[in-house]
Amino acid sequence: MTPPPMTAIIDAPYGLHPQPFAQARAIAWRSLLTSRRQIAFVIFPSLFPLVFAALSVASFDDATALPGFPPVDSFLDFILPATITQAVMFGGMSVGSGLALDIQDGFFDRLLASPVSRLSILVGRLAGASVVAVGQATAFIALYYILGGRIDAGFAGFVVLLVYSVFVALAVGGLMSGIAIRSGSTEVVQGSFPLLFVILYPSSAFFPVTLQTGWFQTVAEYNPITWMIDGARDLVIVGWSWSATAQCLGVSGALTIAGFLYAHRSLRKRLAAR
Amino acid sequence: MSLDPPVVAEGLERHFGDVKAVDGVDLVVNQGEIFGFLGPNGAGKSTTVRMLATLLTPTAGSARVAGYDVVRDAAMVRRNIGVALQDAAIDPIMTGRELLALQAVLFGIAKDRARARGDELLDRVGLTAAADRRVGTYSGGMRRRLDLALSLIHGPTVLFLDEPTTGLDPMSRLALWDEVRRLNEEGTTVLLTTQYLEEADQLAGRIAIIDHGRIVKEGEPKALKDEVGAPTLIVALDNAHELMGAQALSRFGEPRAAPSGSIGVGLAGGAEALADVVRALDDAGVVVQHMELNAPSLDDVFAEATGHRLEGADDATKQPADEEADMAPRRGRRRR
Repeated sequence: MTPPPMTAIIDAPYGLHPQPFAQARAIAWRSLLTSRRQIAFVIFPSLFPLVFAALSVASFDDATALPGFPPVDSFLDFILPATITQAVMFGGMSVGSGLALDIQDGFFDRLLASPVSRLSILVGRLAGASVVAVGQATAFIALYYILGGRIDAGFAGFVVLLVYSVFVALAVGGLMSGIAIRSGSTEVVQGSFPLLFVILYPSSAFFPVTLQTGWFQTVAEYNPITWMIDGARDLVIVGWSWSATAQCLGVSGALTIAGFLYAHRSLRKRLAAR
Repeated sequence: MSLDPPVVAEGLERHFGDVKAVDGVDLVVNQGEIFGFLGPNGAGKSTTVRMLATLLTPTAGSARVAGYDVVRDAAMVRRNIGVALQDAAIDPIMTGRELLALQAVLFGIAKDRARARGDELLDRVGLTAAADRRVGTYSGGMRRRLDLALSLIHGPTVLFLDEPTTGLDPMSRLALWDEVRRLNEEGTTVLLTTQYLEEADQLAGRIAIIDHGRIVKEGEPKALKDEVGAPTLIVALDNAHELMGAQALSRFGEPRAAPSGSIGVGLAGGAEALADVVRALDDAGVVVQHMELNAPSLDDVFAEATGHRLEGADDATKQPADEEADMAPRRGRRRR
């Protein structure tokens, strides 16, 4: 091959200073825009926990009189943290679905061909899910107040519940993002949906552990979901306490870190395998 | 600023398991040229572009794009290139303007400058009126033009277009060609992959023909066609006479399969040999349905280099020679 004449080329004139924070914010904005324009993806995952809560209240309200049941005025007080958890978990799952869709249709490649920080792709998606989670939790708590409920820990408890919602959304979002990045398939992510029930049901989410029996009770006692939901529930039905806050945010925060690390590791692995 | 040619690849390879998708590609694209990468599906065009665009890591070999190594300085490569991939990956939920704004942030363009640049590009690709419509409502041609605009947001020095007109109607294809030419006139170096002979012929100053992961021919389209030399005679015969016809034609060159079941033969004697061919076929008692003489095309270049025709070769690219003989009733066989 004949060597061509050397010519000068100049760096692209418009690309100045790619900034990871601005990039993550822009990706979060896209995620929120998509949620707003496909509102069914927010409404239906929120509707199911509400219907489930209504059914539970109708079916188990008398169970609140059982000895060993936490001190509540109604089953609604008991189930509020579980309802919020369930809804934001479903919302977190949409992070994985969106990411898998981006991989499938090639939008992910568009991002990778730009100077975007790889971490920003993940952080942006998760940040978008966090905002949706805050919206869901706020709406549920507002509805709870309309139905006569009260958070005994007051405004501070409300704020902790919002942070808790964000952590749960991030934990599930991280887990589902990892699955999406590894599989690159929306079907696989959606097929992982029952996993959330497997994690959530053997816990104190829908019934007190003290009133459960046998192996189910044993599993529930050691399920981290029980620990974080119990902390959140104490803020609702008992009142403010640092220990409940630490239990609620500590466990959900640890799960957030685990979920994020899994997603980040999956991303690094995928990029390294290219 | 770099003194390298915008694209240099040396011994570039990419393996997927046991399959060598790209098998030792050497490539130099000079500044300011449109370089065409021509080959059938699965030849290794897109894999090569993906390596040059830092989306795939080479298994072996090296490449420098815009003066930067695609592995060691991948981030700098990305800042300097524009990429429009084969399957235009555009979020259908967003509007054209929103996508341009997003792309601008990814490249670190300041907000006020990004807005002006977005408007400029929308105008340039003729999408100003549709800028605030969701991309899901765009036609295929509009999506391609938006894809091009997105790849230009930062004013790249090197532009990779991976099969930019696949699936487009003729009008949209011509419009995109015009835009690529205009960009090139403004100084952008363009490397485009295509499986369309006409596209390579019309746009590219130089082309490389790739087959089974290897570059089998490289040069200016005209020079490559001149190299082939002899015009090709395409003869459509009655099924019963194909064997006899091939034997008769073998006196004038090596017969090979041509599109639509015809037989092609490179006429070493040029158009002057046509009368002898007709006599030879007549003497052999062969019934000719249709006969035409074509000047060498890129398809002939491709066929000579690879031993087979390019998939989906468009006969419309063949330039009619000085003589075209329509010797017999067409009976349904037509030039496409």
